[in-house]
Amino acid sequence: MLELERASRHFGGVRAVDGLSLSVGEGEIVGLIGPNGSGKSTTVNLVTGLFPLTSGRILFRGADLAGVAVHRRLGFGIARTFQNIRLFGHLTVWQNLWVAQNAPEDRARRGFFARWLGGSAGVRREISELLEFAGLAARQDELAANLAFGEQRRLEVARALATRPKLLLLDEPAAGMNAEEVGQLRERILKLRVRGVTILLVEHVMELVMGVADRIVVLNFGQKIAEGTPAAIQADPVVRKAYLGGEAAG
Amino acid sequence: MDFYYGLAQIIGVHTLLGLSAYIVLLTGQVSLAQAGFFAIGAYAAGMLTVLFGWPIVPALAVGAILGAIVACAVGFPALRVRGLMLVIATLAFGEGVRLFFFNFDYQIARGDIKVGPLGGEGFRQIRYFPENGWTTFEVMLFIWAIVAIVMAVLWWFDRSRYGAVLRAVGEDEVAAQSVGINLTAVKVSAMTIGGAVAGVGGGLYAHYTTHIEHTSFNILVATFAIAYPIVGGLASVFGTLAAVVFVQGFLVEGLRFLGDWRNLLFGALIVLAMNLRPDGLVDARVLGRLARVFRGVRRA
Amino acid sequence: MLDLLQAILDGVMFGATYALIGIGFTLVFGVMHKINMAYAAASVGGAYCGLLVLVAFKGAPAWAVFLGAFAAGGVLGYLVYLACFHFIPLANPLATLMSTVGMLLLIDEIVVHTTDGMPQNYPAMFDDVMLRAGELSIRGDLLLIFGVGVACMAVLLALLYRTRLGLATRAVSQQPVAAQLCGIRVAQVNAATFVITGLLGGLAGALIGASVGALSPLLTVPLTVKGLIVTVIGGLGSIPGAIVAGLLVGGFENLFQQFRGVTERDLYVMLLLFAFLVFRPGGIFASGAGRD
Repeated sequence: MLELERASRHFGGVRAVDGLSLSVGEGEIVGLIGPNGSGKSTTVNLVTGLFPLTSGRILFRGADLAGVAVHRRLGFGIARTFQNIRLFGHLTVWQNLWVAQNAPEDRARRGFFARWLGGSAGVRREISELLEFAGLAARQDELAANLAFGEQRRLEVARALATRPKLLLLDEPAAGMNAEEVGQLRERILKLRVRGVTILLVEHVMELVMGVADRIVVLNFGQKIAEGTPAAIQADPVVRKAYLGGEAAG
Repeated sequence: MDFYYGLAQIIGVHTLLGLSAYIVLLTGQVSLAQAGFFAIGAYAAGMLTVLFGWPIVPALAVGAILGAIVACAVGFPALRVRGLMLVIATLAFGEGVRLFFFNFDYQIARGDIKVGPLGGEGFRQIRYFPENGWTTFEVMLFIWAIVAIVMAVLWWFDRSRYGAVLRAVGEDEVAAQSVGINLTAVKVSAMTIGGAVAGVGGGLYAHYTTHIEHTSFNILVATFAIAYPIVGGLASVFGTLAAVVFVQGFLVEGLRFLGDWRNLLFGALIVLAMNLRPDGLVDARVLGRLARVFRGVRRA
Repeated sequence: MLDLLQAILDGVMFGATYALIGIGFTLVFGVMHKINMAYAAASVGGAYCGLLVLVAFKGAPAWAVFLGAFAAGGVLGYLVYLACFHFIPLANPLATLMSTVGMLLLIDEIVVHTTDGMPQNYPAMFDDVMLRAGELSIRGDLLLIFGVGVACMAVLLALLYRTRLGLATRAVSQQPVAAQLCGIRVAQVNAATFVITGLLGGLAGALIGASVGALSPLLTVPLTVKGLIVTVIGGLGSIPGAIVAGLLVGGFENLFQQFRGVTERDLYVMLLLFAFLVFRPGGIFASGAGRD
């Protein structure tokens, strides 16, 4: 579904992402891990189009994404969440989801007037459903800025889902969560797969990645240094070295 | 009584001016260009009724359309500049429009006098209302009918998905893009609507003052336009209305006994207001309280 | 041809005043990421205060008036800082912007009231001196303006790059929170920025009054617009940019005036601004299309 072919992103002398080739197949949950500064978030930004590629290609379902504007990538089916939550704080939970219903299917189904100026039962149903999924139905009229941290994270995911993505890029969704919340997040990610969403999970929290990913890609200094199943990665000395710097036991 | 009708007219027209800046401000663009669109609407509507004998409503409509077109044209390059640079660019645009009208002559002979705009002298004798027997009261009602319609439309936009999208863009452009919102379409459309509202306001202004000139559309006016929504708060269209009533009604007229000094007070009061209530007179908390009073909830 | 060169020369030298005003805007922007819309008004206000020297000491020399304007500018700068930036939370850019506009109106009105709106004569120095450089003539007072302007810029740059205050200022402009954590008192740095730019502005206002021959409150708004144009063309936050842009705008302005007269001149300066906004929004020294 997603193919990066020798993708590179250089900021002046800094090679944030350097000749990275990776692929994500439909229905997979792929984990992307690496030490701080290894280029994980930059990779997400490259796929969503916030940064242009310095070289290489990114293909989504066979189509080259070069030159496609950020908001158009939605039309292709790509959505993301943000590492430091970027909700629309002054809008309510409901409105956060409402403004995100921009998928081509939504555009086609309703006329201009209905989409922008009216509301419709169908729209309400879908938003309610998303709220249920995220466990936020009771808070729908609350301003996003007033939500608890865990609720905000769930809203971020729900908002991304409102765009009907085929590929969802989760950028460190477990940051700041306790063990119980991580467990709940794991459940939600698995439920996402059941809904038919392919997932690229960028994460630091190992319990989550190891427990949910089919396959893991490890980055260091913008390059891929390992790839394989969670078990293989855990045993890989190259990965250990990158994270821990040198030989480490256990 | 005529005095109060006149005041109501001023408040009405200034509300339109403020609303035109309000809708643009929602998208995070601080525009000092609204006075320019206001001027275009004023001169256009004035010329149509005076020089070509058009009735008032179509003339106002053309003023609105022209304001919208020019605003749309401004909206695109405005996308290339962000934040404070946009403030400067729109300020310069507004000044450019003023300078344009300072140099603009278009006169037609009517009998043995010439009518029409004449550069620095301005555009005199826009006498559609008096010539057609409108009383001050009727003009006021007309102005307020239009204001009511515009406010209703904008209020409706605000509660609709479009309003939420405008505010989303104003709040976080990166997040908005990432959920598929087309920033260009949103920002330019807001600017265009603002231009239309300013154009109508300008047309009305030209007709109730009967005499306009380039100094009627200077930086002070551009400042008023942006001050109303900022001082009134961006939570709702009513904030802008409240600010206009506060500024024009209380300040300018209520302090009339201070004579020349009330302009001074205007500046001082803005500074004070911004220090005391940086989020505006009608901010989210006030709005929340009002909403609970009227038992309306922010929901589509 | 000669006329053109003369016009350009005169314009460039006068442009030093625009450069000073531009520096004031750009420095505040660079340090606080805010625009102080009241800056030109405070500068003109400072210049007016300089005239108080004449009121107190009849027959005082011109340089005393300039000095008075210089000092008054600093005081006014601090007042603007207090009224607009000290108390309003910095996270509220609209509020600070609006309050500076309020100050602009306030200062303007105070000036109008105390002078009844009548232009006030301003003393000049060397206005009767005329130097010659080949075929071109250089007005003495313009040369003074240029010289003082250049001296000020040099002092300012020295201040920024060779003193602790300058270092602190640059630190605050780059990372205000980190600067605070290092013990730099951000409020003091900000206040100092306003005082310093105020001093510059007061002097610039005095120099403008001197070269024009009179001060009038009508100067305020065009000067604000021009100062902002210079700031944008020079690149927001760039002092060298403001300097070059000020001279550029001064030269172009006179050139346009030579070709098309006074009424159309400002329109062309506006077009110059738009050209920059479209092609080089980052300013003269930016690399291609920069963004705010």
